[in-house]
Amino acid sequence: MKSSDTASPEPSNDETDNSQIYSSQSEGSESERFDMSKIIETPRWKRILKAVDLPIQFVRIGLFVLIIWAWESRWIFKGGSPFSFLGWDYQVFPEIIPLFQGVPSEAWDFLLDIWDDSLFWGDFWVTLQEAIYGFVIGSTLGFTVGLLLGSFRRAAKVMSPFLIFANAVPKIALAPILILWYGVDIASKVALATIIVFFIVQIPVQAAVAGVDPDLDVVATSMGATQFQKFRFVVIPGILGPLFGSLRLSSIYSILAVVLGEFIVSKRGLGQRLLYETNNFGMGKAIGLITILAGLALVFNAIIGMMERRFLRWQDTEARGKVVSL
Amino acid sequence: MTNAVDIENVSLVFGGEGNNPVLAVDTIDIAIPKGQFVAIVGPSGCGKTTVLNMLAGLIPPTAGSVKRNGEEVDGPSRDVGYMLARSALSPWRTAIRNIEMGLQIHGVDKVTRRERAHELISLLHLDGFESSYPSQLSQGMRQRVAIARTLAIDPDLWLMDEPFGALDAQTRLTVQGEFINLWERSGESSVIFVTHDLEEAVLLADRVIVMTARPGRIKSDTIIDLPRPRVIDELRFDDKFKEAEHRIWKELRDEII
Repeated sequence: MKSSDTASPEPSNDETDNSQIYSSQSEGSESERFDMSKIIETPRWKRILKAVDLPIQFVRIGLFVLIIWAWESRWIFKGGSPFSFLGWDYQVFPEIIPLFQGVPSEAWDFLLDIWDDSLFWGDFWVTLQEAIYGFVIGSTLGFTVGLLLGSFRRAAKVMSPFLIFANAVPKIALAPILILWYGVDIASKVALATIIVFFIVQIPVQAAVAGVDPDLDVVATSMGATQFQKFRFVVIPGILGPLFGSLRLSSIYSILAVVLGEFIVSKRGLGQRLLYETNNFGMGKAIGLITILAGLALVFNAIIGMMERRFLRWQDTEARGKVVSL
Repeated sequence: MTNAVDIENVSLVFGGEGNNPVLAVDTIDIAIPKGQFVAIVGPSGCGKTTVLNMLAGLIPPTAGSVKRNGEEVDGPSRDVGYMLARSALSPWRTAIRNIEMGLQIHGVDKVTRRERAHELISLLHLDGFESSYPSQLSQGMRQRVAIARTLAIDPDLWLMDEPFGALDAQTRLTVQGEFINLWERSGESSVIFVTHDLEEAVLLADRVIVMTARPGRIKSDTIIDLPRPRVIDELRFDDKFKEAEHRIWKELRDEII
């Protein structure tokens, strides 16, 4: 701000002081200015090319082809002892008998076969439902409990030994009991997924609530915000980052939980199918099913990633949720 | 006429019940008539912020009474605007939505609060940055947004806790000028402005209260008799200003050195 812009209240300053001005660049002299038109804007295709980063794509594709080749040619099944040159003959990679081998082309055939197999889609639907219910119920409960315990420290003190013990339980060990309680259908798998997802969400949410900028709380309090308004305007927006991180993780774990539950006892579901195929040495089919389960987890992850980008638009582009960086 | 603020015999102890209690504020009395701009200066840790927290209704005094408009303070009020030292903007809200936050908490409808926010945006020269997030704003702009947020609710008591401490010298001068203009226009609003910068206190305030090092007591209470409206950037070189600052500096020096 130049002092001459505003009128001075009293004409006290004398203009003829003995400080000298050596040079002044602001007037005239257009020729000395940097000419911005010399900077040519990068064309769109160049920017896209830079973002795609071809060398990385080539190396990726090469690696992928290499993995598929090593697998399809059954090279990885021949066994080997990588330390034999040290005189140590322990077989780290066992030789796999042909019956137990499965190659990508078999999995591919299976994927083509199931396309119009309504029995398969029935199983798919069962597993999908279990995973979604488990995810939604578990993360809702985990979020609510984490939010409340993070906000009310005395309640957290009361609950903490119980929660620590419950979290210490290897949850998979509960699966047989849950099947006795909830039956062999969907409900027991949903219960298992709910328990696993609950802790994945509750613990980070509770920690994140404690980490919300206390100044924001002071501002909201001084404005007379109610507890509900503080949740809405300060706490929940403040924990969205860790919340989405835990939701991504729990979407994958909910699939893991239901597949595990189906392994133990079930009538329908992809996990049940996977166990059946493996027991009958249908290795290609098993690999195909595993691929489908992984695909399902990726889709879950992508949906959450999209929500994350929508809600966390204010964060730096770098920190925003990327599912797979292309 | 009742005073805007009456602080009577107020003391405050932090961490009672055997927890190594600290006397932060020791028996202070301050009466502030409506429409006065009071600056409180003192060394860090002298309980300046504690005084504001009590007035904002965030903490009750251990002894004595804190009154606003003749009534005991018993919690946060909608008529008080409190601005913290750090801008404390919500990083997920754009500038304009940060400004609207207090109005939103008070349940003001969307159209009215947008209108009010736009008004403050032009008063504080934030035009064009309405939809920027705080991370995209400069320090000075963030502080302006925080001022706008504090004033959007039309408080009759402004509590300012070292609002310009984090700004560089030039930006501070500009923002101080904008702030004093807003206050001079606001009419009846009273201001309590906490700062450790004596020059700032004398430039802006009608009255400067010097507090002692912990426990905070009132060391001196001086009326600054400089004409209004004040042009901050010129007033700095005025002899009457320098004389006033020097007078208070002698009081403050004993506390700092």
